[in-house]
Amino acid sequence: MSDSIEPAVVADDGAAQIHDQRFRPYSGPRRGLAGAMRAVIVSSMRFTLGLGRPARHKFLPWLAVVIALVPAIVFVGIATVLDIDLISDNILPEYHEYYGLIQAALFFYCGIVVPEILVADRRNGMLPLYLSTPLRLWSYLASKAAAVAVTLAVITVGPLLFLLLAYTLEGSGPAGLGDWLTVLVRILASGVAIAATITAASLAISSLTDRRAFAVIGVILLLLGSNLVTSVLVEAADMDPRIYAFNLGEMGEALKDRIFGVGPPVLGEDESSPGQSVSELSTWFVIAANAAWVTAGAAVLWWRYRRIEGTQ
Amino acid sequence: MRRGVTGLVGANGAGKTTLLNALLGLRAPTSGSAKVLGLDPRSQGAALRAQVGFAPERDLLPDEMRAVDFVRHLAQVRGLPRSEARTRASDSLWLVGLGEERTRTLGTMSTGQRQRVKLAQAIASDPQLVLLDEPTSGLDPTQRSEMLTLIGEISNEHSVSVVLSSHLLNEVESVCDHVVALDAGRLVACGPLGELVGDDDGVTLELVDVAEPAGSVDAVEHALRAAGIDVERTGTTLRLGGRERDVLCDRARDAVADAGARIRRLETRRRTLADLFEMAAA
Repeated sequence: MSDSIEPAVVADDGAAQIHDQRFRPYSGPRRGLAGAMRAVIVSSMRFTLGLGRPARHKFLPWLAVVIALVPAIVFVGIATVLDIDLISDNILPEYHEYYGLIQAALFFYCGIVVPEILVADRRNGMLPLYLSTPLRLWSYLASKAAAVAVTLAVITVGPLLFLLLAYTLEGSGPAGLGDWLTVLVRILASGVAIAATITAASLAISSLTDRRAFAVIGVILLLLGSNLVTSVLVEAADMDPRIYAFNLGEMGEALKDRIFGVGPPVLGEDESSPGQSVSELSTWFVIAANAAWVTAGAAVLWWRYRRIEGTQ
Repeated sequence: MRRGVTGLVGANGAGKTTLLNALLGLRAPTSGSAKVLGLDPRSQGAALRAQVGFAPERDLLPDEMRAVDFVRHLAQVRGLPRSEARTRASDSLWLVGLGEERTRTLGTMSTGQRQRVKLAQAIASDPQLVLLDEPTSGLDPTQRSEMLTLIGEISNEHSVSVVLSSHLLNEVESVCDHVVALDAGRLVACGPLGELVGDDDGVTLELVDVAEPAGSVDAVEHALRAAGIDVERTGTTLRLGGRERDVLCDRARDAVADAGARIRRLETRRRTLADLFEMAAA
């Protein structure tokens, strides 16, 4: 705590005091590395979501959140109006199918919003200041990654948790506590897995440039380009489906499907869809591919930041 | 280094910023080791940096952030609880003269104000040691003087040890108690300022180069050497040493009178930081 300060002026009857609130010594507790990381995580989350910043910085991140939540709100509305079990009757998509609806929001968020979280610190001089504190390079990057992953989880997990709670209250939710907990765990696990994979890749791309625009283009190219190229190679050129390991979005989707214990969605009679080919891959292959994306992203991030002055 | 203000002085490229980074544990030394506040920067860097405030040279700050939020955030990162960080952020900004400006965004502040904000964030967590890398960079002479006065006050009144780097020798001489002088990565001098600069045991005698009598300067030099005085000559300037100042002045006066020379300047020599660098170069 701060040292107590004697009042500078005290009224004759003692009822009023004027304190001289000057700069003074501090001998209270210091929170060390954990406190430093928590401060950076909270600050970065607020920064990413535009909190405490001018309105123009709030628009894009919250637009992504709204895009992700709107389908869930519509489904809950339909479920409330129509008094039937919407999921069992295949009227509304199941939980794992919801990711297909919010992939645009995910890509939008990662492409437009996430790069700023790293690029800004290098551009505005915060990085050397952070590294002059108890933070080390690994703890700084881990804090940034955690901030991105948590805010990303708002998009990957938030709408599904909302759906689960709303369906449960409406009476269309999982039957029994066991099933309910299973769905909950699957929602959390798949949301975290997708967030981790995309976070690592987005941060890696963002670390390669000090220009936000370039980072945005890079992340979007990675997300969309990897999908396009691998689809062409496998479906048109009839190459090995394991090439889908290089498809960032598809690997996240595939891992989510394995977590929910289902195959890829069957899109009509089109057996040449990526989902069909990905289903041929083993679960271990899918897990390894996602782990490789996270590892490669972390490695690029670490390599890039080790080359920055004052981070050796 | 003892308490007070220590000046890390040297030309651009001398290694001042590199040394500061090494002292913070952000750079591995190519050889040797260091102890700061009794801690090894390489192996105990995090513990060390929790007790040290730092203001980098680069004038880069998050323009959209309010000054008070910026200082508070870094105080939190340096380990202070949120409520304490908020209070101390305001106190620090008042201390550096930005109390009324604390809610302004950094992008709207002048260079002088931004330098003060950098100083405020360095002291907000009440560190034992503050490292300031070129804290007067970009400031006009008045602002520079004010900043140096402020740094001196912070060190004296709040018992914070300060290490400031600068390439301006007069700046270091005006505020520092101790000096570490670097030249091309090499230590030139280190110690209390009073011992390194100040009155010297010598006299500078500058003569007027006159046509009549010819060779008067040579005659004075010859006479002084003949009297056993150490003489360094640069043009018409003779630097005399090796005796007490009063004796040197008397001998100089006599030699000039005998040679019929004319004096432009006769003064006791004062050793400056510039002399240290000249000696190192020689």
